Amino acid sequence: MARSAMAQETICALRREISRIEGSLPERLASPQAGDSVVLRRGISAVREGCSAFLGTGVPKLDCALAGGVPRAALTEIHSLQTRDAGAATGFTLGLLALLRRADGRSRKQFLICWIGLADVFREAGFPYAPGLEKLFGFAAGGLLFVSTAHIADALWVAEEAARQKDFGAVVLEVRGNPARLDLTATRRLHRRAQELGRPVFLIREAAVAEPTAAPLRFTVSAEPAAPRRSLAGLLQDSIGHPAFTVVIGKSRAARPGRFILEWNPHEQSFREIRPAHSGALVPASGNRPHPPAAMGTVVALRPAGKAPAPGGQPPGKERPAHRRPRRAG
Amino acid sequence: MVSHRERNVQRIAALDEQAEALGLKPGLGVADARAMHPQIEIVEADPEANRRLLESLADWCDRYTPLVAIDGSDGLFLDITGCVHLFGGEEKMMQDILSRLSRQGFDARAGLASSAGAAWAAARFPGLARILPGQEADALSPLPLSALRIDAETRIRLESVGLHTIGAILHAPRAPLARRFGAGLLVRLDQALGQAEEAISPRLPVPPLSAERQLVEPVVHAEDIENLVHGLAGTLQQDLERRGEGADVVQLSLFRVDGAVQRHVVRATLPLREPNLIRRLFRERFSASRDEIDAGYGFELVRLSVLKASPFTVVQTDLAGDGMVAEESLALFADRVRARLGEHVLMRPVPVESHIPERAVRMLPFAAGGKAALPEAAVPAGGTSGVPERPIRLFLHPEPIEVAAAEVPDGPPLNFRWRRAIYNVSRAQGPERIAPEWWHDDQEDAPTRDYFRVEDTEGRRFWLYRQGLYGAVEEMPRWFMHGIFP
Repeated sequence: MARSAMAQETICALRREISRIEGSLPERLASPQAGDSVVLRRGISAVREGCSAFLGTGVPKLDCALAGGVPRAALTEIHSLQTRDAGAATGFTLGLLALLRRADGRSRKQFLICWIGLADVFREAGFPYAPGLEKLFGFAAGGLLFVSTAHIADALWVAEEAARQKDFGAVVLEVRGNPARLDLTATRRLHRRAQELGRPVFLIREAAVAEPTAAPLRFTVSAEPAAPRRSLAGLLQDSIGHPAFTVVIGKSRAARPGRFILEWNPHEQSFREIRPAHSGALVPASGNRPHPPAAMGTVVALRPAGKAPAPGGQPPGKERPAHRRPRRAG
Repeated sequence: MVSHRERNVQRIAALDEQAEALGLKPGLGVADARAMHPQIEIVEADPEANRRLLESLADWCDRYTPLVAIDGSDGLFLDITGCVHLFGGEEKMMQDILSRLSRQGFDARAGLASSAGAAWAAARFPGLARILPGQEADALSPLPLSALRIDAETRIRLESVGLHTIGAILHAPRAPLARRFGAGLLVRLDQALGQAEEAISPRLPVPPLSAERQLVEPVVHAEDIENLVHGLAGTLQQDLERRGEGADVVQLSLFRVDGAVQRHVVRATLPLREPNLIRRLFRERFSASRDEIDAGYGFELVRLSVLKASPFTVVQTDLAGDGMVAEESLALFADRVRARLGEHVLMRPVPVESHIPERAVRMLPFAAGGKAALPEAAVPAGGTSGVPERPIRLFLHPEPIEVAAAEVPDGPPLNFRWRRAIYNVSRAQGPERIAPEWWHDDQEDAPTRDYFRVEDTEGRRFWLYRQGLYGAVEEMPRWFMHGIFP
């Protein structure tokens, strides 16, 4: 037992060493057993002077899928499939930024964001609008600094310089499509800068396809119909409630895929999962009856028809015409 | 030979020695000249190009003195007060200017005097090059009246009464002269004699501080120029420290061997003194892709001048080492970005008291600490509870959309076409009616806007508005896409 504990510790130390050389986080190397990663994570937090290496999203399932949350000292890519989805991608990024500001314990004015964009992004997808940012995400106009450049090379230069600045709480770089200059090397440079200072760099890529990147995390965000507004009287029909997004994990350290439908609550400044993705809700509910999707497979496949009452108030098997009788499985 | 058009006749404006030797004179008709000498070559005068050439020459003369003024279409005034010793005396300086100009292919004449008027005359009339102080009257007496910079009409009137030289009017009684020929004549006379002050207004503002270095071997490489900037900034640093100031705007003038002058300006958010910082700013400036330095055969004179200085407050850092450092490093970041990419790339949103969405935020260039002076920006940073929903992205220009039908005339659209794609509206909120700000002149009769927040069937949320009301205007009101919600 003592031997195995010693061996365990040696392995942990070696993993830490490897991850230090590779510049990645030790969880990637950790075995799936619990306990091991706890030790490692404690090691990391010691390195980061008590500050967690991850920014929790506040959605337990998403945090779990990301093995802890969004890494702070890293480049994070947020994609939208089309330019018209820019609102969703920007909104999700801003939500993460708002969480980061709260986690850092900074006031609205102290938290400075450097937002670098190419002029064509700002033209095609609209310029970030300070009153909206303040209303929904609580960013004061004084804490925003925008840089608009004409060329991707200039934008990358500014982003790298900004990522070196201690004054900025976070750096956002926004590009459209897949410019050739924004390749693996460029993302790696940004990622290194983020690692050096321990500040996140968010790369919003509108209308982009996934390509090799040095960022350990990539989300693809698209729009999602919002839940209706709540009032004291109940749900208000046909009203548009809090912002909602569909977030798909494209790449992460834990390599666990996931699709989440999140809602941003501007009052509480937090994310919430509103409905689990791929649930039965995708199938339209039939008629005026309750529609239990889980019952279908069990009832039809495992019980012989006629012995038990059919679900959903359907007539028993014998009363139905033969061609509509449920097929037996096996 | 150069011709120009005067009263519908092509006349000779200027001509070279060869043409002069043929007996041609300025003012002669081009047709006559061609008839006399068919082989002559005539080009049309280009006053614009002449002016540009004279300006570039004035730039070049900046190496001698910062006070260079353009005189008419063919002259330059150089106020060399206090600069002479740098070039080894007046005579040597004049020779230096003339020889350098003649090497560049200019036929220049120079005159040197203690008054601008006398120098003007000395440069234009043979036999005089340098008029010593106190000898203006003697030197000018034999010259014709055209040496006085008076207009042709006055000169003709003076000549018609037999006054042909300056000497003739020098000792004449002044009151009758002024009465008959105007006070302008006496002013010109006094200016020529140095009895009346005449200020030379320089083309460029004179920098409060500058340092320069003459180079024996011209420099070509950007690194060498940066090193020179560092050295010159070190010289300036001492001057700035003595004055208790820091540089806000720094200009680097590069004098090329062939006479072209390039000027590069960097601006600092906080006053600068440190040579390393100035050098870094210029490095960004040179590495920018937008303007390359064209070194040609090299630069022979490098001058660094402080165009604007402001009081420099020395900040004592506390023992922890932070304090003002954050603002300083941010200012330096901003300076470097601006030096490299231009003034307008770095923006900071400032809320403005306005209902019109696109006017509610003004993008201002970044300034230190956000202390941007704005008259109407006094919006209290209060709660946002009463503020209606606003999009997070606003289009710089509202984009027109096609709306086929609305539910009710004043209601939201059922579907619309934006950027060639059709969107079906599933839910809508609104309208939020925003009336134009009639108290501004330019918005007096702008139509009212009805804003709707709509969600399409795929869940995207947009901010649309209808410009004008149904029935209020004859044509159908137009719809615009103005923003995107998350």
